[in-house]
Amino acid sequence: MAAYNTIAFKPELCNGCNACMTACATVKTGSPDHVNSRIQIVADEAGFELAMCRQCGDPKCVSNCPAAALAKDGGNGVIEWDGAKCVNCLLCTVGCAFGGIVYNAAAGHVVKCDACGGDPACVKVCEPGALKYLTTANIYREVGDLEDLFVPGLSGCQGCNTELIMRHAMRRIGPDTVLATPPGCIPGMGSVGYNGMTGTKVPVFHPLLTNTASMLAGVKRHYKRQGREVNAVALAGDGGASDVGFQSLSGAAERGEQILFICVDNEGYMNTGMQRSSCTPFGAWTSTTPVGERGSGKTQDAKNMPVIMMMHNCEYVATASTAFMEDLYVKLDKAIDASKRGFAYLHIYSPCTTGWRFPSQENIEVARKAVETNFVMLWEFDPRDGLRLTRSLDNPQPIAEYLKALGKYRHLEPEQVDRIETTLQKNVELIRDLAEGRRPAMAGR
Amino acid sequence: MSAVLKPKSKAIVCDGNEAAAWAVTLARVDMVAVYPITPQSSLVEYLAKFVADGRLNAEIVDVEGEHSVLSVLHGGTLAGARTYTGTCGPGLAFMFEPYLRTPGLRLPIVMSIVTRDTLTPQSVWGGHQDAMSVREVGWIQMYCETVQEVLDTTIMAYRIAEHRDVMLPVNVCHDGNYLSYGAARIELPTQEEVDAFLPPPATNWHAALDPARPMAVDPLTGGAGGAGPALFVGYRKGQCAGMQNALAVIEQAHEDWARVVGRRHAPLLESYRMEDAETALVTLGSMSGAGKDAVDAARERGERVGLIKIKTYRPFPVQAVARALAGVKAIGVVDRSVSFGWDCGPLYQDVIGALQFTARHPAAMSFIGGLAGADITTDHFERVIERIRALAKDGQAGETVWLNEKD
Repeated sequence: MAAYNTIAFKPELCNGCNACMTACATVKTGSPDHVNSRIQIVADEAGFELAMCRQCGDPKCVSNCPAAALAKDGGNGVIEWDGAKCVNCLLCTVGCAFGGIVYNAAAGHVVKCDACGGDPACVKVCEPGALKYLTTANIYREVGDLEDLFVPGLSGCQGCNTELIMRHAMRRIGPDTVLATPPGCIPGMGSVGYNGMTGTKVPVFHPLLTNTASMLAGVKRHYKRQGREVNAVALAGDGGASDVGFQSLSGAAERGEQILFICVDNEGYMNTGMQRSSCTPFGAWTSTTPVGERGSGKTQDAKNMPVIMMMHNCEYVATASTAFMEDLYVKLDKAIDASKRGFAYLHIYSPCTTGWRFPSQENIEVARKAVETNFVMLWEFDPRDGLRLTRSLDNPQPIAEYLKALGKYRHLEPEQVDRIETTLQKNVELIRDLAEGRRPAMAGR
Repeated sequence: MSAVLKPKSKAIVCDGNEAAAWAVTLARVDMVAVYPITPQSSLVEYLAKFVADGRLNAEIVDVEGEHSVLSVLHGGTLAGARTYTGTCGPGLAFMFEPYLRTPGLRLPIVMSIVTRDTLTPQSVWGGHQDAMSVREVGWIQMYCETVQEVLDTTIMAYRIAEHRDVMLPVNVCHDGNYLSYGAARIELPTQEEVDAFLPPPATNWHAALDPARPMAVDPLTGGAGGAGPALFVGYRKGQCAGMQNALAVIEQAHEDWARVVGRRHAPLLESYRMEDAETALVTLGSMSGAGKDAVDAARERGERVGLIKIKTYRPFPVQAVARALAGVKAIGVVDRSVSFGWDCGPLYQDVIGALQFTARHPAAMSFIGGLAGADITTDHFERVIERIRALAKDGQAGETVWLNEKD
């Protein structure tokens, strides 16, 4: 699968020369008339704004289109317009909040940016560098310059997704941080360390499995009192977040403690030998929900932690996956920022090659399948705008594609798969309803 | 900050819970975490009010339970804060997990235990069973007799806890009901007096979380090979050494406090009318007043009886107890709690342990009273004195006596 590409705009660098509009109009219509440009730079008293297609993760133009003339290309992320199907109803323009798809009189139909097939004309002529064409690889190059705040040689399992999450999260969060890593895989692989040696370059500690959020609250409150800006961050497993650590997590979220709590969800107690947690999904084999003559995996559904945290009216809540790193980085930035105002919660899915029983080289592929089947839904929430999908739930892959990739589901009977499908549909419906405002995302505020 | 406090010491009438809140305020604590529980609740209400009134300039964290109370203070202390809380009974049981960890992390937290009998039978009244149940965890424990002693000891507790040679958490125990709600006239020291006695908190660089000085707090330590086991032993031995160092530091703190405010409390134990005593009572906490009255009455009758009040229970002042009791023939130890494994009181166990260091090994008996808020009166102490008079004669220690069994 190719990388997703984005034309990024930094208004502070824009000088209003309009060369981008000239270039776009010329390339697309042969005339330099700015009215034909797919990119519009709008000047107002605050500076410059960009009106252009954002190639949204959950495009409203696509869902508004009654003729299926618009579709997001799963390969490169570009939203394609099909003139043969378009009925010129202009409903797509109503859905777009970015002025990214507009009626063009000369063309006689809507027009939008198509990223020039990966070589956008506007970016090439932007002298001040306000426009940049970012690919996933570019994003990695950028974060690659940030210091890795863990030492080399953490003793995670081969192909560990959680190690990836730790390293990426901390290099973005930066060194002015106190990090809590409650018992589990994360200290198990040496974050806090063994016998006087440590795996982390920032102040790090082992909270109890039960009190991560409370200990961080104490750290953060005292630094705030002293007028020092210090990030208080947790990298916790799903057991420490959803089971025994839930009371302190819920209490800290309710009090609006200024913490970034990252739940690394590998759906069970993988460090202690793959026992079930309340985040283990229905049907999954674990060492405490074994498969035998009378047992066939977990008999209850997973607790929906991100939704539960959203109901705490946190300053920011989001789900993320390592198969969608740009999305993860955008959410990390928002979460770090939100944690300066209140409680921020990131729920990152972390397929476990050891505990879920699949080959380690398939880790990112498994993470991707979880998202493409809607088993994991990518969304974000803040109290002002409510819940927003960051990736469309439309056209999911069949759930069987995901289940068959994992050894922990190998034993499933058809009726168990049916139940997983039914639950999945309900979960998708819930998130859709929340995203589209049919249900309020929270009370109060 | 100190503007609201009058420059001169003044007398106020308050109960033990309010006295503790005044001490916390005068000690310029940075952070308090609170969760209410009977009979501690009014203590945290006073703290909240003092913060709301601007008297106490501290971060107050109203958490969702005692487990988080102590956990928040762990974080605050690791960031360099001077911290305080109070709890009892079921609350203490609920915070046991972080409680167990506090001395090992060498966090100089001060926490009142407003002592309460433990469940079950369901009970909300005083008794030492909660504090006694955690006596081997590694916290320093000091028991108060009066409201004034609650205030003075809570201030002194910070000097003791934060001392470089100690660096351990302190429980100041005051009896639920009798001291928590019993009002008395006390002298409130001035802020200047307390400031002269108590230096500002110094970050414990043995264990601290500061991005300016990165450190990993509590890596896994131990295991079967390499440096682990020796490192673990080193930490444990250091903790024990801190506990033993506390004996001298507690004495010095009481001495210095007496110099500042002119009030002297016995630091480790108080010997009351022990000169020429043939028999002795051993007491803990608020019951000691009634015990002393009973001793006075017996002395008037010509009986040679005295009383030892244990103030510092952990570390147990073994040598001081042995010295104090070396000359008597019989001892009656009155406990407000039970040691289930020994069918006696826990203080009795400690006392007979200390008697091994005496030449004559006086006879001793265990008396248990005051459970679940029951009063221990001078009449009860009369019975104890009568029983140990016989013990002094025949040396025949009987079974544990339950003082309130027929009340």
